[in-house]
Amino acid sequence: MTNFWFLNGLKKGVKTERFPAAEPEEPPVWPSRLKGSGSYECPTDAIVGGEWIQERCIFCRRCVPSFTPTQSQNIYHIRSVEPMFRKSFYLYPVDSGACGACNTEFFNIFSPQYDANRLGIFMTNTPRHADAIVVMGVGSPGMAEALERAYEAMPSPKLIIALGVCALTGGVMGNSPMNREKYNVEIAGCPPSPYTIISAIMAAKEKKGEM
Amino acid sequence: MRRYRFGSGTGRFVGNTEKFSVYEDVISIGPKPLEGKRYERAPGEFSFSYGPLTGGLLESVAFDFETPGELIKSVRVEPYSKVRTIAIKGLTPQDALLRVERINGFHAASHSIAYEMAVEDALGVEPPEGVLFSRIVMLELERIRSNLLVVKRLCEPAGFGVPMNEVYYLTEKVSRLISAVSGHRYFFSSTYVGGCDIKVENLATSIKGVAFEFEKIFDGLLQSKIFLNRLQNNGKTDHDSDLLGPSARAAGKRVDARDDADILPYKDLGFNPVLFDEPDAFGRFYVRSIEIIRSAEIIENAVNLCSNGPQRRGVTDSGEGAARVESPQGDLFYYVKIDRGVIEDVQISSPSLLNINAFKKSMVGNIFTDYHFNWESFGIWVSELAVVLT
Repeated sequence: MTNFWFLNGLKKGVKTERFPAAEPEEPPVWPSRLKGSGSYECPTDAIVGGEWIQERCIFCRRCVPSFTPTQSQNIYHIRSVEPMFRKSFYLYPVDSGACGACNTEFFNIFSPQYDANRLGIFMTNTPRHADAIVVMGVGSPGMAEALERAYEAMPSPKLIIALGVCALTGGVMGNSPMNREKYNVEIAGCPPSPYTIISAIMAAKEKKGEM
Repeated sequence: MRRYRFGSGTGRFVGNTEKFSVYEDVISIGPKPLEGKRYERAPGEFSFSYGPLTGGLLESVAFDFETPGELIKSVRVEPYSKVRTIAIKGLTPQDALLRVERINGFHAASHSIAYEMAVEDALGVEPPEGVLFSRIVMLELERIRSNLLVVKRLCEPAGFGVPMNEVYYLTEKVSRLISAVSGHRYFFSSTYVGGCDIKVENLATSIKGVAFEFEKIFDGLLQSKIFLNRLQNNGKTDHDSDLLGPSARAAGKRVDARDDADILPYKDLGFNPVLFDEPDAFGRFYVRSIEIIRSAEIIENAVNLCSNGPQRRGVTDSGEGAARVESPQGDLFYYVKIDRGVIEDVQISSPSLLNINAFKKSMVGNIFTDYHFNWESFGIWVSELAVVLT
């Protein structure tokens, strides 16, 4: 019995995808980058003047067929990066008023299929050890102080990553918990897939171009 | 309302909404007071606060433990730290659905389907039978993923890295199956009033594979004395408590909306609830694990009966309706009142309310290191509780 799990684990072999070195194996259709043109009465004003605005989109499919999904998971925006975090990047999640979907997608980047640890991405249980806070959900009065104190507790240099449309613009659910000017990394999606989250975090820590 | 009537509360208590207390088929005006004694701290005891922000929890929720050092004498749970105000009244039922499915995104299918069936009840919409089977498939897929996540989070504090990752692998695999079925990993925008939009080709084979893999992990966990020791006699529920979902069934109570709500054709699939006789964290783990396997069987039987439509329309644009489905945590109830095509009132009773109450009582007499196992075994989601619908 002692070795049961050890041997069982070895027998299963490596289950981790080669992503981001290779293309995603099973990218979801929704959410993904949309392409198209035309006007549509979007519930979150994500289509203005025929242009699609990823930070507002909840991917509700109402604009289909004028706009169609491409399955491209690159729906993020990097405002600023910190080269110091290139080798290891510790993240502290902050649920400021999320529905639970962003929370689980963030944690999913540590599942065997993605194994974010191999990429130098780690989670920490205290903001004192964090390089960045990952803000999820709309702003809620009860979490405003906790969010502020978590940010203040982080040592500098530090980043703020906004994960999901609620944190970015509020989507259909409310208002953003912070001033968007404060965000260093903006990850669109409702919720963003683990592929998108990893791509954005890697871009932030490896000083890659903006999407 | 076809399945509910207003009156004095009789039958099984299902939960409270903001305005109502809800029973099996009766809605009673005014929430039922939930028992809860104020704890008087004894000399030498102190209060230990945990949360609302901590990496150990999936969501923001605050706990205050009263303890003399290790033994938990009382616990207060504050699930309303991240309370969200969601504007739903005044919207059309379809626009409101965009917000309803984001009340608890991890269980979006349960919320969407309960809400849609309440709207259908209000407007006299009769969805085709195939759509009802499609809804069963969605609910059971969601249950499998939810239960897998609970098992994964039970392995985590026990330091069981291999089974934890094996179960986590299956959890992600089910998310990808859900994405293949509905186009979205959380079923968002794949279901609507009167119909749905899912593809179930190859689903039966894939989900059978997940259940087969899980069964092997489950058998291994049942033989791991260290793991069992952390769960057995941890968080024993009181038999008189109002329990819902797997917590109730672990305590031997035949409590399951799939069995008594008679709203979806589960009985045509030969459904029988999983019951167990250990009202502790182990019992809840056991029931959830067996339900993963049973849910896969239900999906296998239902896929050939599924359809997406044709979408049916209502016979009226005003009315009130109610519906209850078995979400992975227990009975989830929606009430809607619609006036000339827009939502005038919406009420929700989430199973997490009663489960939190049961958790608080079950923690007394345990020690702090038991807490994580006990909390996770209830599968509580505060996002569906900390909402104000306006």
